[in-house]
Amino acid sequence: MFSSARSFLLLAPLLLFMILFVGQGLYRAFSESLHAGDNFLENYEQLFTQGTFWSSLQISVYVAFVSTLLSLIIGLWITRTLFRLFRTDQWKLAAWFPMLIPHFVAAYIIVLFFSPSGWFSAVLESLPLAGTFPVLVNDPLYLGVIITYIWKEVPFVVLMLLPVYQEIDWRMEEVGRSLGAKGFTLFRTVEWPWAGPVTAEVFLILFVFILGAFEVPALLGVTYPAMVPVLAFEWFYQGGWSNRPLAQAMMIVLTFFSVLLSFCLLYAVQRSRRKWMKGGKSNA
Amino acid sequence: MNKWYPLLFGAASLTAGCAENNTADVETQQERDWEEIVEEAAGKEVGIYMWGGDEGINAYMDEVVAPALEEQYDISFQRYPMDTPEFLSRLMTEKEAGQQDGAADILWINGENFRNAKENELLYGSFASILPNMEEAVNTEAPYIEYDMGIEVDEMEVPWGNVQYAFQFRDEENPPETLEELFYWAEENPGEFTYPNVSNDTGNGFIRHIIHHVAEDPEEVTEFNEAWIEENGDEVWEILRSLQPSLWRNGETYPETLSQQDQLFANGEVSATLGFNEYRAESLIEQGTFPEDTQTVGLSSGSISSTHYLSMAFNTQEPEAALVAINYMLSPEAQIAKLDPSMWGEGHILDLNKLTEEEVEEIESLVGEEVVPQEEALPELDARYISWIQENWEQEVVQQR
Repeated sequence: MFSSARSFLLLAPLLLFMILFVGQGLYRAFSESLHAGDNFLENYEQLFTQGTFWSSLQISVYVAFVSTLLSLIIGLWITRTLFRLFRTDQWKLAAWFPMLIPHFVAAYIIVLFFSPSGWFSAVLESLPLAGTFPVLVNDPLYLGVIITYIWKEVPFVVLMLLPVYQEIDWRMEEVGRSLGAKGFTLFRTVEWPWAGPVTAEVFLILFVFILGAFEVPALLGVTYPAMVPVLAFEWFYQGGWSNRPLAQAMMIVLTFFSVLLSFCLLYAVQRSRRKWMKGGKSNA
Repeated sequence: MNKWYPLLFGAASLTAGCAENNTADVETQQERDWEEIVEEAAGKEVGIYMWGGDEGINAYMDEVVAPALEEQYDISFQRYPMDTPEFLSRLMTEKEAGQQDGAADILWINGENFRNAKENELLYGSFASILPNMEEAVNTEAPYIEYDMGIEVDEMEVPWGNVQYAFQFRDEENPPETLEELFYWAEENPGEFTYPNVSNDTGNGFIRHIIHHVAEDPEEVTEFNEAWIEENGDEVWEILRSLQPSLWRNGETYPETLSQQDQLFANGEVSATLGFNEYRAESLIEQGTFPEDTQTVGLSSGSISSTHYLSMAFNTQEPEAALVAINYMLSPEAQIAKLDPSMWGEGHILDLNKLTEEEVEEIESLVGEEVVPQEEALPELDARYISWIQENWEQEVVQQR
């Protein structure tokens, strides 16, 4: 009893902060998104019948999913192969360096290197095999955006997974080997019970972040379909603010689904963790 | 308990923000002598919210206006670079929160944004007649004194500058001079032309030229004309749709901002850029951003002339200093310095009859040859066309590929 009251007290500043800033902001967005007339959900109905919104949501989910998945795969691969090297600080710093760079700067770096008038294109043109460099910036497939996110988020994945890998009891691997496991089975039975839950959490963090981040798609995206945050910004400021309720409704919908997704994912992780712990005990 | 003090202080300062303000309102200012206002302004700090995306404009503000105000009136002048919709939105939030101590006093504004600010009561009031320079220097006969894109000004803003829409081409011997020729040029040079997203005033301005092009007579569209839109709106979009495939990236995307298009122009991805202010390329050429062979063309088929204004925020902390600063920016001295193409280089709003001979000579030597002769200038459209363009362009043009 004492400990729960104490932990609540310790949490109080954070809770207060959440209620003051996040809660208040959400409340304002929600109240602005409601329609004043008879049908108070009119803005939501209008939103869901808009093709622009659906195509925007589609491209956003696609970009967020692809970027997150590739970042996780690359990050996991780097961590697995290099975690012994990362015991020294220099290597850690080198791997985490891109995290120090703000997202919009990263986007400009991509422009510098990958745009049709950029560095790679110039190099390619100077080569005898005159091929034209593909369009990777402001392209309809959002490849420039995805490249930027991968470059920025892989170090984050490494940061999150590294402690896990350094904690793994590698004698388990030897046990596995002696029992005849190899390749993927070895990975699944030895590493995944540790790395899996963290990977799921990182997936959630990155996916939701990319879904809601503005600056990279604003710099490297296309006019149509624009990603959700870019569309929200446009609706927020355009046309004498008349589309503002629509922008707020869109952000509320996005927040709702982000929270729902977090809940489902964290619940699933909890369950599998408990199952695994229990399994360990009953075998012992 | 000590840990909680900062929080309590935070809460206290929040409530203090709502306290009564004791700055003078516009009626009080109107009854005062100008000398009294100038005296009151001395030693104060005044800030302006303005778009900060042009090096030349920033240089003019920092190197001409700020030092002059410091020297002549003992006012320290602060520039807050911010996009117009953003600072309006900020003022709106401040109004809703009842916050009377705004960060900035002066606003750089026009058209749609002015309407928005006026309708939401974000402005200080009708202050134009307080400024001596309105009488002594500014051309008060001009139509833009009374109406800003079809919106009644009501003395709530004063004109600051006048610009023409113009196009820049690189390495082009015979640049197009009418819209017809421009469409033809774009087809002949696929991928070399584009215009910014219409949420941007420059991109929007390009579409407004098409509206003028479709309308036989500028008179038809100067005021918002819904019947005309009904009948001719689709022709406007049809022109843009047929232009789309020959644009940069086959019209799959458009530059999000004018800066982005300028960048594409500077590094040679496109061969044309455009924008309000017929002299804007000069300082960019001088800095080496634009190539030497950049050529500016005003359309002989007509080019929109646009006026931009200075206004004051409802929650200005130093109204006296703001009035003095605005008055200075309308003075012949400041207006002539603004003509210098090596800095800003844009049109003045002075009445030549009110100036001394030397001042007139100086203006003539700076302005030189007109890119767009006055008789080819087209009137700016009613602000409601801007909204119409913003609301329909994406659906009618971009999505119709």
